[in-house]
Amino acid sequence: MISLQNLTKTVRSGTEDLTILDDVTFEIPDGQFVALTGASGSGKSTLLGLIAGLDSPSSGTITIDGEEVTAMSEDDLAGLRSEKIGFVFQSFHLIPSLTAFENILIPMEIRGIRDAADRAEMLLADVGLVNRGHHYPTELSGGEQQRVAIARAFANQPRILLADEPTGNLDSRNGKHILELMTAMHSARSVTLVLVTHDGELASQAQRSIVLRDGLVITDEMNLVNGTGK
Amino acid sequence: MNFIFSLTRREIRSSWRRLLFFFLCIALGVGSIVALRSLIQNLTRAVGTDARALLTADIELNSTADFSPTEISKIEEVISRLDIVEDRNESITTSAMASPADPANPNTRLVELKGIEPPFPLVGEFLMEDGAPFDFRLLKDHGAVVAKILLEDLKVGVGDRIRIGEAEFQIRGIFEQEPGGSSGFRLGARVFVEKSAFDTAGITRNSSRVRRVILYRTSENPTELVRQLREALQGTTVRVRSYRETQENIGEQFTRTENYLALTGLLILVLGGVGVWNVARAFVEQKRKSVAVLKCLGAGGTRIISVYLLQILTLGLVGSIFGVFLAQSGLLFVRWRFIEALPEKMSYAVGGWTAMQGVLLGVAISIIFSALPLLQVRNIKPRLLLRDENNASLRRLDPAKWLLGLVSVLALLGLAVWQAGSMIVGVFFLVGLAATAGVLYLAALLLTSILKRLKIFASFSLRQAVNSLHRPGNQTRIILLAVGLGAFVVLAVHSLQANLVREFDFTLNQRLPSLFFIDIQKSQIDELVRIIEARIGEKAETTPTVRARISHINGEAIDFQQREVREQRGQIGREFSVTYRPKLDLNETVVAGKWWETDSDVPQVSVEDEMATRLKVDVGDSITFDISGRKVTAQVANLRKIDLRNTRTAFIFVFRPGVLENAPQSFAATVLNRVPPTERQRLQRELLNIFPNIQIFDVADIVATVQRLVNNFVLAISFVGSFVILSGILILIGSIALTKSQRIYENAILKTLGARRSTLAAILLAEYGLLGFLAGVIGAGFAVLLSWSVSRFIMNIRWEFDPAITIGGIAATSLIVVLVGCLASFDVLFRKPLGTLRSQ
Repeated sequence: MISLQNLTKTVRSGTEDLTILDDVTFEIPDGQFVALTGASGSGKSTLLGLIAGLDSPSSGTITIDGEEVTAMSEDDLAGLRSEKIGFVFQSFHLIPSLTAFENILIPMEIRGIRDAADRAEMLLADVGLVNRGHHYPTELSGGEQQRVAIARAFANQPRILLADEPTGNLDSRNGKHILELMTAMHSARSVTLVLVTHDGELASQAQRSIVLRDGLVITDEMNLVNGTGK
Repeated sequence: MNFIFSLTRREIRSSWRRLLFFFLCIALGVGSIVALRSLIQNLTRAVGTDARALLTADIELNSTADFSPTEISKIEEVISRLDIVEDRNESITTSAMASPADPANPNTRLVELKGIEPPFPLVGEFLMEDGAPFDFRLLKDHGAVVAKILLEDLKVGVGDRIRIGEAEFQIRGIFEQEPGGSSGFRLGARVFVEKSAFDTAGITRNSSRVRRVILYRTSENPTELVRQLREALQGTTVRVRSYRETQENIGEQFTRTENYLALTGLLILVLGGVGVWNVARAFVEQKRKSVAVLKCLGAGGTRIISVYLLQILTLGLVGSIFGVFLAQSGLLFVRWRFIEALPEKMSYAVGGWTAMQGVLLGVAISIIFSALPLLQVRNIKPRLLLRDENNASLRRLDPAKWLLGLVSVLALLGLAVWQAGSMIVGVFFLVGLAATAGVLYLAALLLTSILKRLKIFASFSLRQAVNSLHRPGNQTRIILLAVGLGAFVVLAVHSLQANLVREFDFTLNQRLPSLFFIDIQKSQIDELVRIIEARIGEKAETTPTVRARISHINGEAIDFQQREVREQRGQIGREFSVTYRPKLDLNETVVAGKWWETDSDVPQVSVEDEMATRLKVDVGDSITFDISGRKVTAQVANLRKIDLRNTRTAFIFVFRPGVLENAPQSFAATVLNRVPPTERQRLQRELLNIFPNIQIFDVADIVATVQRLVNNFVLAISFVGSFVILSGILILIGSIALTKSQRIYENAILKTLGARRSTLAAILLAEYGLLGFLAGVIGAGFAVLLSWSVSRFIMNIRWEFDPAITIGGIAATSLIVVLVGCLASFDVLFRKPLGTLRSQ
């Protein structure tokens, strides 16, 4: 369970304070697929980053499985991400100096998992890149890079997958493929999936849809087709 | 731990190209430090380690006069009392003129003649050219064994006869290796003859510069024997020295030289460290996203720092080992280039411990200089993956950074103290380095800000180039500092060389004699002057000279038992040529007291001012001289300064007329005319035939020898200086790498805005041209300042500004920087702008 309580984030912009998130409160139960939508600058990515502990809020708390994320040290946060959270970025963020296979291997090595290579091979197969493991990110297409990023996100079998516009840099065919991959993995492993997007069609596939505008939650509703109730 | 090792391995695999400069900076620094240290250690081993072989005995007694019967009996008494002497021999050395006995061969040469008796040598080897040991029978009945160079100089061969003094000797062999070595400044080739033959040659009778030596080989530690001999011989002119003291002195000198050279190496290594610092900064900057990803994937800051630290350690280690190989190549280069100036049996291998020290230093410098940039990894936040921020957080100063900075400075100080072998020198080194860097940095700051304010450039490329020098995160001042320092070292050395060489230039000193005659007897002087005048049309200037030794100052004997005094013995204990005359010479000025103008009954002497300082005497003090066993006490009437640039003769002590006229004396004569070499040879030959006892110095030969020494010295320093330049270039390349991504971005924008490739190339050329020019101006400016102050205050020579060196230096520096800068950035011109702009 992810719980957000009165979450506010302000940043300094020139001489003024700019509020990116304004008193956001909601909970995400385990296994739910949530779409976070809204226009550019509405605070979606910031919210996602705060959940992952990539940034700290100006006020308010975030708890994951009862642990207060906002009170953790940098190293504890790193530990939390290693254990529970997978992250997929819009611009992939693969480590350019490592091959696709090694990029998938890294989170497991950080966590100290022993038979990581076999699992990395398996994940490569899951995302359909069996023969591309030895390639460096620059040698892969955008879709392939994002597939590696998804495999990497699932490497440590996280309970939560946070995806920040994962199809934003891809053409529609690749975007569709990536979304299928994520939803398939979500249902197969029953992870909590929080997807930031401003693509309405993508959002409609989620069980729940939260819409942000100027840092405020303006809509939070279950999707009639996919939702099972809040 | 596994994660750290495996990620390190992968990172090195993919980033080694980017870290190549890191590797090279360390390799170059370690290479120079190991090469310099090994060189001097090997030199010490070749020259100084076996002082016993250098002395060819355990104890040496020497005197410039014949050992008197009293002295001999005192020596015998001590020797028999201690009973540790195994063997002894005597020898006599002097310089003399040698010429072929064949009257058709006009050559003459000054030689260093040594008369020996068996057993010789007591210690060490004496090998002939064919490798066979020296056989004393070669010297029997006027035989001579000579250095090979003499055969070439005199154009004679083995079996030919040569004349030395009044006697003729047959050359019976050529020696390969002389006992005691052949190092040091020597005016003539060595010739060995039988000691008894010296008298037949008439040299001991007339020559003033004879050195008589008794050598002993002992069975035990000779220290006590030396002490007792010194005690017994107190007040005489006999000097006693043992190989142990020689070894001690040589050892100290070499250790000092080694440590100073090691500091030069450390300077290069520290410059390499600056390169390391730049590369590490660029590296961390480039790795920001990877670090953020790793943090996002759950790796803590400490683990990530460990990965990069391990990477630095590995590269530092491999770079250092490569540096040792570079050092070995450097030594081989030294053998190829300088073999003639270095001892024959010198080794050119890098020492094991020196190599280890170098590797240790290399790794330490790698860590010290990359620690601060690496610490920035801590401040990289994973949120930059969501929202790219500027690097404000990376530049923030925090206590950890200050602390680490302090630890780095202390570690550097530790290394400097270790390398210098002295706390004070180490501290001075670091403070001096910081001060020099500070001054150069300030100069760079000043020049770039002037350039910014000028704004007079009409050309777009030049305006852009000036802007580039001020772009955010620019490396302008660091480049100016590093390259400027390299240019400074090399240009300062060259400017000094030019001034030194000028100092020995004939054409500038109109009063430097071309030929110098000594040991002329009173009965010979008029005839000699007449012959010279008849041959070259110049009346030689003659000066009476008397050999004298200082025995007392203000009634107190000079105590050579004291170590401090003993160390100065070369300057104050030697035998001086003194003269007497009523007038000051043209090149002399009185700096204290008054020159004698009227007659006086009191014996008076004029002392050269530096010698007066050394002897701690002033006007009114008294100095007692030993002149052929007779004590003459004179009052110091005045102190003189001698202008060595305008000198014909330079006497340290000049007596008032009326004191020395009856003392045993000979004459010196000088001629100034520049006579062509063949005529000079002919004149020398003719004079030697008539006056076999005189000695002639051909000043051209001496000047050539000195110039050769100066040139070798300059070449050696330039060799070291070139390492400094190379470090500067590496820093330049590292700095270019650091700002490359920004340049790519700017070029992409300029291209989008319609700039042609040629315009961008012109900006590149102008930017590095300006940078090189400024570095050259800084280096050349400070080089002029240093060479002026060294010439003026340390070497005491006349200084002249050399426009060729300064302008050439600035041009060369600009060219190097343009070449390196353009080569390292050229690919930027060919990037497609869209890809660049998208990736930003």
